[in-house]
Amino acid sequence: MRRLNFFVREALTNIRGNRTTTLIAIATTAFTLACFGVFLLLYLNLKRVANSLENDIQVIIYLADGQSPQAVTDLQRRLKAEPEVATLRYISKEQALADFRTQYPAEHQLLQGLGENPLPASLVVTMAPRFRSPEAVKRWAERLNGIPGVAQVQYDRDWIENLSAVLGFVELAAAGVGIILSAASVTIIASTIRLTLYARRDEVEIMRLIGATGAFIRVPYVLEGAVLGALGGAFSLALLRGGFEFFKLQLGGTGRLLGIESNFGFFPFQVSLAIVLIGLMLGCSGSLVSLMEFGRTRA
Amino acid sequence: MIQLFHVSKYYDRRPALQDVNLQIRKGEFVLLMGPSGAGKTTLLKLLFCADQPDEGQILVQNRNVARLRPRDLPHLRRTMGFVFQDFKLLPKKNVFENVALPLMVQGMSAFDTRRKVSEALKAVGVEHRQYSRPPSLSAGEQQRVCIARGIVNGPIILLADEPTGNMDPDLSSEIIELFKTINARGTTVMIATHNRQVVSQVRRRVVTLNQGRVVSDEGGGE
Repeated sequence: MRRLNFFVREALTNIRGNRTTTLIAIATTAFTLACFGVFLLLYLNLKRVANSLENDIQVIIYLADGQSPQAVTDLQRRLKAEPEVATLRYISKEQALADFRTQYPAEHQLLQGLGENPLPASLVVTMAPRFRSPEAVKRWAERLNGIPGVAQVQYDRDWIENLSAVLGFVELAAAGVGIILSAASVTIIASTIRLTLYARRDEVEIMRLIGATGAFIRVPYVLEGAVLGALGGAFSLALLRGGFEFFKLQLGGTGRLLGIESNFGFFPFQVSLAIVLIGLMLGCSGSLVSLMEFGRTRA
Repeated sequence: MIQLFHVSKYYDRRPALQDVNLQIRKGEFVLLMGPSGAGKTTLLKLLFCADQPDEGQILVQNRNVARLRPRDLPHLRRTMGFVFQDFKLLPKKNVFENVALPLMVQGMSAFDTRRKVSEALKAVGVEHRQYSRPPSLSAGEQQRVCIARGIVNGPIILLADEPTGNMDPDLSSEIIELFKTINARGTTVMIATHNRQVVSQVRRRVVTLNQGRVVSDEGGGE
């Protein structure tokens, strides 16, 4: 307990006593983690938007006219049992006509001239997540075409293919940029912590010469690295939060992004905690690597 | 207490010590003389396990320092005190904290640490500067603090490298008297110096080094 007190006191004294290097280390950690965080935030939000767009992948099944209500119910029951179907909504002929009138108020006279309601009843299906690839949708649509009572199956093939390509690209870019940014962050933060310790290598040498064990020398420095790293992580979160809120404020009400901004969100608590912990671990490892280098001499 | 057998040390293939044989008994006061570059500091560094010999064996308190495991090194150093030529005091810690360091690393209680540090500071006459930081002290005061740190844990051996370097004769004389007092309490003392005044003041065993070799060993009593 006495030693723990000593270690904590030493770490805090070192932080207070080396204000400039401490501030440089915290700022470097904060800015580096913030760069990584900007990318992560961008990626997570793109992913959220992409997921929300994926929910729009719909297949419309137009039903043949003149079917009994029982036949339509049977078809609905049969389709609901299929694994490809996430949700299914029935739109009757009357509902289709009402929707048309609402959506195209200027053109509704066109239908009046035809007398009988020409619009077919339909089933609007949202695909289950694992069947949203272009191939899966196409395969299922082709199979539906052979089912009695189905007049026509329609889906936006280009939209699905484009979305799929964009998502694939985002995933690939995320992996590549993520690896490069992570490596850069680790190197920069570990080097900064190392530099702050390098400036104090004499202290390490003196401690060793007066009979301090390796652990006794290392613990306060590792604690110090952990505190600097965690503080850097916390400041990076503050920077990111501020930047994110500013970005949202700028976008708010412009309507330029067709409502997808409603999907934007900051990191969940677990990711925020992970960023602080990453800072903490980088601080610890930076200290340990430096001390290992100093420890190569016998003195 | 200290035994060196055919010890040699090279830096960049140039010999710093060559075939040195030496035996120092418990409680002895030994002056290590010689001009700059004679190998005095190298010899002290080897005894303090800050470096290893390239040839030969060194026994300190019957332990072969070359074969000592790194984890045993701190424990051997805790039985020794070292007074560095450049003091090696931590500038951001005050005098009390600097002197207390050897006791802190041993895990001594705060009460005992305070008592022992006060005794050591009193012995070297700088107890009134215990809350000052080293940069605000004179060279003589810093040297005293360094000696206090060297003796605070009651070492069996005290090694000092040019402890009177850059000091005026009066101050130098005071510091040497301090070492004599420490030696009188039973501590083996070995001082490296090129100051002839110290030899005349101490009148004890003098080992002279030149170009890494022992060229004379006088006043050992055996």
